[in-house]
Amino acid sequence: MNLGDYRLLYVLTCIGLALIIVSPTLAMFVRLPGSESFSELWILGPGHMAEDYPFNVGANETYKVYLGVGNHMGGSEYYVVYVKLRNQTESLPDNLNKTPSSLPTLFEYRFFVRDQETDEREVLFSFDGASFDGNTSSVQTLTLDGLSVDVNECAAWDQTNSGFYYQLFFELWLYNATTSGFQFHNRFVGLWLNVTKT
Amino acid sequence: MLKRDYAFACIVALTLVLAMRLNVCSALDQSEAQAAVANADGGLASAYGAVAEAEQAGGNVTQLVASLRVAGGLLDDAHDAYRIGDYDRAYSSASNCSSEALGIASQAASLKVQAEQASSNALFFTVTLSSVVLSVFFVLSLLGWRYLKNRYEKRVLGLRPELR
Repeated sequence: MNLGDYRLLYVLTCIGLALIIVSPTLAMFVRLPGSESFSELWILGPGHMAEDYPFNVGANETYKVYLGVGNHMGGSEYYVVYVKLRNQTESLPDNLNKTPSSLPTLFEYRFFVRDQETDEREVLFSFDGASFDGNTSSVQTLTLDGLSVDVNECAAWDQTNSGFYYQLFFELWLYNATTSGFQFHNRFVGLWLNVTKT
Repeated sequence: MLKRDYAFACIVALTLVLAMRLNVCSALDQSEAQAAVANADGGLASAYGAVAEAEQAGGNVTQLVASLRVAGGLLDDAHDAYRIGDYDRAYSSASNCSSEALGIASQAASLKVQAEQASSNALFFTVTLSSVVLSVFFVLSLLGWRYLKNRYEKRVLGLRPELR
């Protein structure tokens, strides 16, 4: 190695060390791209596990599930979960077009979740005023966490699955500070419930 | 005479208090409840915005997020009560939510100022320290190069063949 090679090696070593010295300052200005941002929405059964979900539900009986939201959006987020009820023929949210269900909201839950954290609520529900008439059934009232709302929902007898099926589903909406409003976050979870006489 | 005036003033005050109390207890109409719920909606969104700004400034918002959850629960209750036509409960919950939200927004604003100050101080300290260390390193590297260069030249000169 001649002197020129030594000089080059020395300069490169010095530049490397200088970068290490200024790296704490650079880290305060340079923002590296974060990982993919997303949110989670889930329902757990009464044992806080993904099992034993209520399915055959009797009128006037109370059932318990857990509703949870997870935040991986890179900062604290403000969510609202809208609770809706449908029968087998009514609309669900459209994942492809990212549109919510057109059905009315029955209840709502607000979640403030910090980044990389989760929040969970206990949801107690019951159906009241269930009536059965031949191939149709109807439910008059849905009670959620002690608050009752008139739903007047009807369902036809499902011959394939032998039951009167209703779906209690939860839509996740995210607060958008730019528009100062909530936007459907294209996530929903639901429970199929076979409402029975007892 | 003074006693009579005092008694009269007491009766008037009591009547006014009762009148106000009755007004509060009376059933609220839908528009009042709706306005209170809308106000609470806006207040909570503003409080969330303030907390998000404080967080971006580097503040620890754990406590504020917990307070937002409490206020959010009140707003849930207000919306649910409004939906089932319980306007008194909707108004009450919405009003409580609004006052909670105001407190949160105020705390978040002061936290943001503190966080920005701390961040500014940290930036100044880091830049100053880096500059000093970099300057010392630059001087040392020049001296080091001079030393290495001299050593190299001596070694090369030592290898030069000499005539005897």
